[in-house]
Amino acid sequence: MPNIREIQSRINSVKDTMKITNAMYMISSSKMTQAKKKLQDTEPYFYALQGEISRILRHLPELEHKYFDRREKVPKDQRKIASIVVTADKGLAGAYNHNIEKLEEEILEKPGIHKLFVVGELGRHYFAKRGQEIDTHFKYTVQKPTMHRAREISGVLMEQFEQGELDEIYIVYTRMESSVQSEAEVMRLLPLERSSFNEMKMPLNVYRESIELYPSAEAVLDSIVPNYVTGMIYGCLVQAYASEHNARMMAMKSATDSAKDLIHDLSIAYNRARQAMITQEITEVCAGARAQQK
Amino acid sequence: MDTFGLNIIASDKIFYEGRCKKLILPSPDGEKGVLPHHENMVIAVTVGTAKVQLAGEDEWKDLAVGSGFAEIVNNRVTLLVDTAERPEDIDVRRAQEQQERAEEQMRQKQSTQEYYHTQASLARAMTRLRVAQNKKWNL
Repeated sequence: MPNIREIQSRINSVKDTMKITNAMYMISSSKMTQAKKKLQDTEPYFYALQGEISRILRHLPELEHKYFDRREKVPKDQRKIASIVVTADKGLAGAYNHNIEKLEEEILEKPGIHKLFVVGELGRHYFAKRGQEIDTHFKYTVQKPTMHRAREISGVLMEQFEQGELDEIYIVYTRMESSVQSEAEVMRLLPLERSSFNEMKMPLNVYRESIELYPSAEAVLDSIVPNYVTGMIYGCLVQAYASEHNARMMAMKSATDSAKDLIHDLSIAYNRARQAMITQEITEVCAGARAQQK
Repeated sequence: MDTFGLNIIASDKIFYEGRCKKLILPSPDGEKGVLPHHENMVIAVTVGTAKVQLAGEDEWKDLAVGSGFAEIVNNRVTLLVDTAERPEDIDVRRAQEQQERAEEQMRQKQSTQEYYHTQASLARAMTRLRVAQNKKWNL
């Protein structure tokens, strides 16, 4: 039977930890509502953007453009593959970071020269420890995603892509599927894939209106594609931010719950020990009194 | 007078949804006007001032828009831009600070990419100031 004082101090320490996890839960849930609102605000823009590009591609299937160039001449092991990895700035979010890391490791195993652009402190440490090449100037936090940050990130990548320093750009992030479910996902940003936009199959007998591009198809795509990439990065950052806080919220909730269970068990043990002590004392007193009577 | 459907979507919100009589957009090689029953077209839009005449109104309204594009299909215009602002939402002081900051950075040596960034930032600041200029109460 453990000592009463030991149990008491254990209960206190669990209570302190519970205070922290509970506070983190509240912080995450308030940040989560913010992130969700942001997500809702940006969703129309993304879906419209994606829809527009798919529409333009549908109407101009023969279009040749530098952003569609798959650079097939570059051999497989010479291809320079960039991945933007969106992790959290700190842990304590359940499997959130591990899922992203696992997914990125899968990409790293494929042939090619890999370059990492890590957003978030935790991922940066993880991949630096593993000796991966990380762009050291690429220091962005994941907190409070803004359009400005997305613009900077896409600026860096677009420039390198256009100069041929990168052949493929992926983004690894966590997508919110619903308010309870989120899943780590890889998405290709560049070069654009025709098939990914051609999901909508048009019936043959429908009249397809023709669209003219002004001033030219090239100019329009030059203006749309960087916007599209920026928009996608922004969207991914917002999604990841929301799922990070969702994951942390859940992790902290279960931590608080198990702390409560622990306290419950411990307080039963504490009461038993206290009762046992009292019983023992009474027995001793009784025994002493009886001994004196005789 | 005829009208057309206008839908302005900025990256952070749906900016406007409704009917419109006339629309003038800043495009890379000058301004481009859109009237009802325009030919189906996709127009690249650059940072600048867009002007709209909404249905049932006679005066022109100015908007500061960021880069993006406009799509005209079946008498419906969808304007997708990264930012869209009304004159009354623009903070003149902030825009001025942004302009000064951008000008200061322009004077320093920087990489091409940084240069484009500052240039874009300067263009945005100047558009904001231009659009907000007509407000008497703002500064």
